Amino acid sequence: MTADAASRVTGRRQWPLPKLADPSAPLLVVDGLRTEFTLEAGRLRAVDGVSFRLDDGEALGIAGESGCGKTTTALSLVRLLPGNARIVDGSVKLWGIDLVQKTDRALQRYRWREISIVFQGAMNALNPVRRVGDQIAEPIEKRLGQSRAAGLARARELLDLVGMPRDRGRAYPHELSGGMRQRAMIAMALACDPAIVIGDEPTTALDVMVQAQILELLERLRRDLGLSLMLITHDLSVIAETCDRVLVMYAGRVAEEGGVGAVFDHPRHPYTQKLMGAFPDIASGRRTLDVIAGQPPDLRNPPAGCRFHPRCPFVMQVCREEQPPEVRFPDGVRVACHLHPPGGDGVVAQAAERSAPDAPPQSPAPVLAAVPEPDRAPDAGAVPGLAAAPDLAAVPDPAAVPGPTGVARPPVVPPPAARTPAP
Amino acid sequence: MSGRYLARKGVQAIVTIAFILVLNFILFRMMPGSPDRVIARNLPAPVHAQLLERWGLDKPLIPDQLVAYVGATLQGDLGDSYRFRGETVVDVLAERIWPTLLLFGLGEIIAIVLGLGLGAYSGWRRGGPVDYVGNGVSLVLYSMPYFVIGMIVLVVFSAGLGWFPTSGMFTIAATYASPLDQAWDFLAHFTLPLTTVAIGLVGQYSILMRSSIIDVMGEDYIATARAKGLRDGVVLRDHALPNALLPAVTLVAINLGYVIAGAITVEIVFGWPGLGTLTVDALAARDYPVLQGVFLLLSISVVLANLAADIAYGALDPRVRT
Amino acid sequence: MTAVAGADVRSARLRLRVRNARSFVRRFLGRRDGALGVAILAAFSVVALFPDLLVGPLQTVTTATGRQLEAPSVAHLFGTDHLGRDMLNLTVHGTRISMTIGLLATLVTLVIGVLVGIVAGYVGGATDTVLMRITDFFLVLPTFVLALILAPIVLDLIGTDAQIGGIRATLFVIVVVIGITSWASTARIIRAQALTLKERAFVSRARVIGASGTHIMVRHILPNVLNLIVANAVLTFAGAILTETTLSFVGLGDPFDPSWGQILNAAQESGAPGLGAWWYVAPPAVSVVLVVLSFTLVGGALDEVLNPRLRARR
Repeated sequence: MTADAASRVTGRRQWPLPKLADPSAPLLVVDGLRTEFTLEAGRLRAVDGVSFRLDDGEALGIAGESGCGKTTTALSLVRLLPGNARIVDGSVKLWGIDLVQKTDRALQRYRWREISIVFQGAMNALNPVRRVGDQIAEPIEKRLGQSRAAGLARARELLDLVGMPRDRGRAYPHELSGGMRQRAMIAMALACDPAIVIGDEPTTALDVMVQAQILELLERLRRDLGLSLMLITHDLSVIAETCDRVLVMYAGRVAEEGGVGAVFDHPRHPYTQKLMGAFPDIASGRRTLDVIAGQPPDLRNPPAGCRFHPRCPFVMQVCREEQPPEVRFPDGVRVACHLHPPGGDGVVAQAAERSAPDAPPQSPAPVLAAVPEPDRAPDAGAVPGLAAAPDLAAVPDPAAVPGPTGVARPPVVPPPAARTPAP
Repeated sequence: MSGRYLARKGVQAIVTIAFILVLNFILFRMMPGSPDRVIARNLPAPVHAQLLERWGLDKPLIPDQLVAYVGATLQGDLGDSYRFRGETVVDVLAERIWPTLLLFGLGEIIAIVLGLGLGAYSGWRRGGPVDYVGNGVSLVLYSMPYFVIGMIVLVVFSAGLGWFPTSGMFTIAATYASPLDQAWDFLAHFTLPLTTVAIGLVGQYSILMRSSIIDVMGEDYIATARAKGLRDGVVLRDHALPNALLPAVTLVAINLGYVIAGAITVEIVFGWPGLGTLTVDALAARDYPVLQGVFLLLSISVVLANLAADIAYGALDPRVRT
Repeated sequence: MTAVAGADVRSARLRLRVRNARSFVRRFLGRRDGALGVAILAAFSVVALFPDLLVGPLQTVTTATGRQLEAPSVAHLFGTDHLGRDMLNLTVHGTRISMTIGLLATLVTLVIGVLVGIVAGYVGGATDTVLMRITDFFLVLPTFVLALILAPIVLDLIGTDAQIGGIRATLFVIVVVIGITSWASTARIIRAQALTLKERAFVSRARVIGASGTHIMVRHILPNVLNLIVANAVLTFAGAILTETTLSFVGLGDPFDPSWGQILNAAQESGAPGLGAWWYVAPPAVSVVLVVLSFTLVGGALDEVLNPRLRARR
């Protein structure tokens, strides 16, 4: 975050940054996240080594089929997981603060106040027996300690902000149309002035016209409020329209990630290519839509090697045996595919090798093991060591030019290879 | 709440009560040993005719007798008791109603508070020790008729341990040094039947509430509440409970019909001088006016309880109010 | 060629049904509550079917084998009642009466309830409104008091000494009365399901080809509410036993063919609880509780197996 971004963030925010926050750190860095579900039949790893970064004011789209782990990834950020799920590895660093290490009580501070969620199908996501305005005001009262009157007043402002008449706050959820409910959910998500808003399929349940309106609203809010967005959706057109960068997931892993323009114009992972082909393009001639044969794998027993190999049209022997390493291209796109091995033509050397000299010997894994204890103490009293702890994510990428919002910058991603066993 | 909703429910209640009146009338005219049959026995014809005329029994059943009956009822005249000479049915009912109200009113309240509380806690902390034990106990209690509970309680605490008297509301022919003594005697007699009623009712409220909370917990708005960073207790109190209580309200009203069955039997077990023992005694003595009065009273109570439940439900759930 | 194909289809269908049934039984018995409930019910059914084999004929005042109100001993495992009759003997015979009445009452309730429910749900319109009004009325009535009042009336109509199908009039009256007062909730449930089924494709197809209402109701709707009926039957049976026990306790039972409720009635009348004669109360009471409990367990297990609750994502 530059001084500009920092001041804009702190300037527009009504509430101070968390005590432990490092304003010079990137907004959000997720490194090697692994989330497991414990079922009767065994363990299911829904998220297997996912890494990405979200900068201030950016909109990141997470795309993939149902069951690929995109929602679980988002929920893992604030640990909103069901009882049988656990984050087993990785870090989630918000301004340098690792949320994975936090106790549940300490994590509460970040829920909704820094990261809020707009769920899909807002009919069931709103309490049917309480008025909408009350529900928007609730986090303001309960989490920010404001009075009821202040909360309701702010709720009215928020409704205005999302383009709803102020007095609709007195309505109950069933009295609103689908589009208005979604707007109310967005207003609710903004209540505590969060840094990041996660939208989980925010437009899936809506018809196309309303969908357009909601996307327009999100774009406007992003511009005016300098919000950072994470949009989870299976609908690539939504991502194309609203996001700066896109992360394509398959079976719990990252397939491809990069700027929207770069990825959509020139998809490198076969899965991404298939996804693009599966969407009709009004500009192109008539053609049969691509269908990806087969089903997503059962994650209780995932395929060896590259998880996409059973359905991949370009499958090679190595794909069946080894997990493909991530590589980075000059235009900033990351891919994990054996078609693009490290060192191939036009491909920058494997990301791990590139940053290895810069990376301090202390890799995130040992940090994970060594630091936890002081962090378990409640928020009060910043732990001096933490902010100064060497953090891979803070290592500047010489190739990247941090710029104002909207300019696609090549993301600096902590090398996943440093954490996974050598492929 | 819209007036239309209230009006509709009110009208339904009145119509139902009207049907109850008619049913009441028909049933008791059909009962063996009913007035015209009793009077008809073994009497010379002219006397028979005279008596019938005097009691209005010579008029056709419908509409004349029916109208007379309805008219009298609406004016608060329920007739005279056969068994208690000189007392009107209303008198008899009035005397016996408050012990029943006390016993079952208090018992219901205790059962609702305990049952809903236990059920909510079990459901929220599903799988915990409280859940298993509570669920098991509730299941067993739910399978016991109230009077069985009563008999067991009686055997253990009265005959066995001798802590409480066996029956009645007061010690027979007792004189009291002070009102406090009387109150104490009452309490001694009241405890066992009250415990029985409360135990009998707790089971179903607990089971229902547990199931209701579990259903609610799976809803998306609970996830939203948690995502907002609200504490567990707040989520339970402000989001889960208001939704989970809705079926419980309906249950209380539906229950009333069954509670009445329990009322009668528990009163028999403990010799509690309320409407229950009155019903059984009146049945045995063929005291039809009293029986009619009891049936009317109980039926109307159930209708009114349902109406109250509808109103309460409307107050709690905005979706039904249109 | 078509005949062969038809036979193939039929046998394939039969095999599928058998496989489904086996899988259902396996899933059902795999649950602790289902298995326990069925085991208890099976035990009681055996006792109900062969009481004489187990304890000999029902003891009467003249054939009582013990002294009055004896506590349990080796000679009388459950003690004796106020007439000196062996409690074990009484309770075992009571099993037959209670279970039989429960079964018959359940049948009556189901027949009326299902009939009203399907007709109201499928035919709809004015018929539905009228039937539902009646159903709601019966739901509101305090059925127990109604039963108390109806019993003497029906008894009067039949005559006290009549025997219908080998059952004495007093008991028959209880069956009828329970049936009349319990059908309403079954009707409601079945009607709701019939309403949903009415809209389904196979029903409209049947209508289009000209099938009559009765045909549709019997051949299409009825088989599809069978699941619901079975689940409802289990709970109705439990309720019937409870109601019969209560009605007998209040005095409507038959002293010559005592059900558990009747035994409890005798116990109450003779003052046994107050005297501390717990053995007079315990065997019939425990039997009632066990049977009702096992029905509830079976009902719960059936519900879970037939309508598994989808686990919510969060």
